[in-house]
Amino acid sequence: MISRRVQYELAGRVAAPFLTKLDQWQAARKTKHPKRPTSGLFGPPLESARALKALMTSYYLRGRYADGAVPVAWVTSGFPFEPLEQLGYFIIYPENHAALCGARKLVPKISAAAEQEGFSLDLCSYARTDLGNVLKQATPVGRLPKPDLLCCSTNICQTVLHWYRNLADYLKAPLVLVDTPFIYHASPEHHLQYVVDQLEEMIAVAEGIAGRKLDRQQLVEVLARSREGSMLWRECLATGRAHPSPWTGFDTFFHIAPIVTMRGTDKCNAYYRHLLDELRDRVAKGIGGIARERIRLLWDNLPIWFNVRELSALLAERGFNFVCATYSNAWAEAGCSIQLGEPIPSMAKAYLEVYLNRDLANRLETMKQLAREFDVQGAVLHSDRSCKPYSVGQIDVKERLASDLGIKALVLEADHCDQRLYSEEQGKTRLQAFMESFDG
Amino acid sequence: MRSAYLESQKSQQGRKLMACLPIFYPKPVLTALNICAAEVWGPPGPPRSAEAGRIQTYVCPIVRNALAFLAGRSAELADGLLCPHTCDSIQGLASVLPDFGGWAKPVIHFIHPRGPRRASTLAYLNQEIRGFVKNLEAFAGQSLDPNRLRWALELHRQIDTLAAKLLARRAYLDVDDFTLYTTLRKGEYLWPEDFFEELKRMDARLSDTVVQKGLPLLLSGIVPEPMSLLKNLDDAGAYVAADDYAAIGRRILPHADPPPSDPFAALVETYFAAPPCSTRASSIDGRREHLSRLAAARGVKGVIFHPIKFCEPELFDIPLLKRRLAELNIPVLVLESGLESELSGQTVTRLEAFVEMASNHGSQA
Ligand code: SF4
Ligand code: SF4
Repeated sequence: MISRRVQYELAGRVAAPFLTKLDQWQAARKTKHPKRPTSGLFGPPLESARALKALMTSYYLRGRYADGAVPVAWVTSGFPFEPLEQLGYFIIYPENHAALCGARKLVPKISAAAEQEGFSLDLCSYARTDLGNVLKQATPVGRLPKPDLLCCSTNICQTVLHWYRNLADYLKAPLVLVDTPFIYHASPEHHLQYVVDQLEEMIAVAEGIAGRKLDRQQLVEVLARSREGSMLWRECLATGRAHPSPWTGFDTFFHIAPIVTMRGTDKCNAYYRHLLDELRDRVAKGIGGIARERIRLLWDNLPIWFNVRELSALLAERGFNFVCATYSNAWAEAGCSIQLGEPIPSMAKAYLEVYLNRDLANRLETMKQLAREFDVQGAVLHSDRSCKPYSVGQIDVKERLASDLGIKALVLEADHCDQRLYSEEQGKTRLQAFMESFDG
Repeated sequence: MRSAYLESQKSQQGRKLMACLPIFYPKPVLTALNICAAEVWGPPGPPRSAEAGRIQTYVCPIVRNALAFLAGRSAELADGLLCPHTCDSIQGLASVLPDFGGWAKPVIHFIHPRGPRRASTLAYLNQEIRGFVKNLEAFAGQSLDPNRLRWALELHRQIDTLAAKLLARRAYLDVDDFTLYTTLRKGEYLWPEDFFEELKRMDARLSDTVVQKGLPLLLSGIVPEPMSLLKNLDDAGAYVAADDYAAIGRRILPHADPPPSDPFAALVETYFAAPPCSTRASSIDGRREHLSRLAAARGVKGVIFHPIKFCEPELFDIPLLKRRLAELNIPVLVLESGLESELSGQTVTRLEAFVEMASNHGSQA
């Protein structure tokens, strides 16, 4: 245990900074011979991207040595993780890991092990990626630490519960659930109480595994950092209201990683302060995410991780920029509403009322508000084949965006992670036709 | 025929009619409030209107067909819509209909707790049922009489007991699967007292000796659609000896004897005592044990997993359940289907080949 702990600390304090320096040195050499073929289409790259890379490298590197050193929890992205953070858990977000695999186009290969086991191609590609990696380690980050605890909240979808029930069986790890009744218009009092009760149950289990009691005073401090991080992220996103937007919606998909995986930590907040400064500086100087912003768009649903760069180039070529996205925005919502005076009830409320746990009327309103605030002329709704909860209702939403706001909208069928479920040529053709419709 | 019956429930019996989406809801409360439940499992066949196009084709056909049916004005008779929170897709449908058009009548939700029985889920379910009752009282325009609820609970206990008996003694029942399931599925729309009479008539056909000679199979899925599958099985020389359909066997609740004196406590208890189901997020271990027990008790020689296409709850559970059955040396077939009226020729051939393989497997073992 002691040597494991030493390895874990060394990974975070020595190896990760060394690798970062090495990476920066290599990057500096490469800038002498830039290879980005599409460089003329975009504004100068965000400096913060390097810090982001360093942060995420360090996170996954520490993760390699976390099991046996500290308690490890695997957690769904909407899980109220703050008590785990206070209890010293190393937290892994399988969805973030799967997104990383998706961005590197590795999902078909990793998912193959899950498909061989009998998991259908129709299931969420995050889940298939994660299960595939559990069945046959193939992660690009070296290894993921084994969980002592699995934590699942249904506030993003029911899918995660089915997925985590499988994980519990394969990994022989206990599963705690924070079930969040879906909100149709408003939620009755007992729904909130149910979440409060489950948070207390979850804390008791997590304490048992960590071998110590939750320090409720320190929990408030974690919550304060979590809230501050969410607010900083919201401010970063808000810079996209400027004309031109200092970054693209596609950039936000990558810079979201710390708010997903490290919320509640000083590192996360320091990162977003740095990013915010840079974005504000770009706004002041009129530097755009793309070179020539002509038409501003809203993106709905998860990114198409394996095609982000190709899509951004296709759009930037004609002066189209995604200046806001419901997906990135959702991460600015929950943390911001936490009230520190009543930590558990306010966590319960914040995590119950997340974007994906609310009805479509609410979603439409959020999109309309984003469309107005970011001054968009169009919207692309990614109809995500293997994410039903985010996709059902989009066809009506598209109509309503057109009729209520007079903006053009396109439903683009793809998948968040699995390129086998996307016809790139067809997607391109549809996007091109969509862009042409603005000039007609 | 169904429409005429439901029409008469309204006009002659003075009952309100509730269209109910699948799967779990505390039906005795509806019965006690004189509300006739008519469940919407699609309906099968091609979508009844172009409204299905409002939901992507990669979403389960039960949900797309239900949208086509309800928004296409085929359910005008119904006075309200009940939406249990079954899965992500029904969750979406329950929002699409009232929020974006297609259903202007009252909508009542029932959001059951997920996961195992815990202090939090017990307290929540108790409150959720009470909230559900309040909403139904407003819908029905009358208050719930506790004695009437006790009467309804007793009626449903008798129904469940008899349905369980018919399934447990399937081998002694002198009818084919199609006839048996047609009867069992009448519970999806008949007034419970009428349904009980149907079950009694079926009970009268129980024999003292085993009459089923085919290969005994266990079928597991959401709903036995297309129903022609049962005829295909019959033709292939097999019969359904054990049932694990969410629409049938998983809704046959074991009742405490004697029941708790508080009828709300009885509703909570029966919910947690129900056979395990993916849509209620029962543990996979619980499902594995349940299937193993069922298979052993009915001498099952093969298992067919019969998920509806794109049904995440079911598709997620199948790999581990299959593993367990392989350990028990029981042949397994996974047969995905939609709501088409008949299985394709190719699927029927797969079914026949499976029955043949499972028969031989049995004789070699
Ligand atoms: S991608 Fe969709 S289905 Fe998959 S975990 Fe996320 S919200 Fe759930
Ligand atoms: S078949 Fe599956 S996906 Fe479809 S409504 Fe039923 S539980 Fe939901």
